[in-house]
Amino acid sequence: MSSVRSRILSQFRSVAKEQNKELPPLSDDLVLLDSELDSLCFAVIVARLEDELGIDPFSASEDIEFPVTLGDFVKIYEDVAT
Amino acid sequence: MENVIVTGGSRGLGLGIARKLATAGYRVIAIARREDEQLTRAIRQNEPGKQGSLLFRAFDLEDTSGIPGLVKQLRKEFGSIYGLVNNAGLGTSGILATMHDKKIQSLVHLNTLSPIIFTKYVVRSMMADGGGRIVNVASVVSFTGYSGLSVYGATKASVVGFTRSLAREVGPLGINVNAVAPGFVETDMTEGLGEQERAQVVRRSALHRLVEAEDVGNAVEFLLGDKSRNITGTVLTVDAGNTA
Repeated sequence: MSSVRSRILSQFRSVAKEQNKELPPLSDDLVLLDSELDSLCFAVIVARLEDELGIDPFSASEDIEFPVTLGDFVKIYEDVAT
Repeated sequence: MENVIVTGGSRGLGLGIARKLATAGYRVIAIARREDEQLTRAIRQNEPGKQGSLLFRAFDLEDTSGIPGLVKQLRKEFGSIYGLVNNAGLGTSGILATMHDKKIQSLVHLNTLSPIIFTKYVVRSMMADGGGRIVNVASVVSFTGYSGLSVYGATKASVVGFTRSLAREVGPLGINVNAVAPGFVETDMTEGLGEQERAQVVRRSALHRLVEAEDVGNAVEFLLGDKSRNITGTVLTVDAGNTA
């Protein structure tokens, strides 16, 4: 598992725990809308990942659309990190 | 020591707020285009070794594209940001019909756009760090009309709307967002008031006196402290009862 992926999954779990959300299993095909995490949770995840990884793909470009699945989310970060 | 950023903290009301917060034990980072001599004196007077400190960092808040980099730099230099006081602003007055479009744009840019963008990047860091306090400096002009202050009034009313909705948005993350609405405070911004106008303000105020910068500083200190932990999305008016 890439370090980027593991950090992303770790943040998903941390934020879900802090916000008392019950996460379904974190697989690549998990649709983010079905993850129980709301837009505020994602904002926290993105902010913390920027601190950890030094990147925020969503601020870097206005054209980037928010990913549909967890796999898409991870790929966006992995693509920018490389 | 908790870090608090005060924009426009180099003189006038912002400096009054910054000094009060430094005395209260915060590490205050005053942001302004230039270090005013009032601030330099205040920094010198702030005794080293005592609780709280007062520092200056130069930045032109009209440069909204530079804000993300500034916030990153401040976090790197000082650590987590506990509080943000959005105080910087222009007080340009004038009859709307003859106010230059550029002046209108400047007012809206500095009084509305800049604090929103600054808050965006600071609130992101507060989200990452697990909490914080934001205090926006509005004005009695947010609620009450004054001839010559239509654009200023519009920008200050926007601060109130921003405060309330942002409070709702980030409350679940332990971030309180409030506003203070000062009345007429004796600073550079109000030095244009004539003796007659000053006397009128005093007469119309329930307490028959003008507000001082320290009074607003006291309100901000309260909104940053433990005793206001359950206060968010509200506006604290500090106007000696002028709008009562």
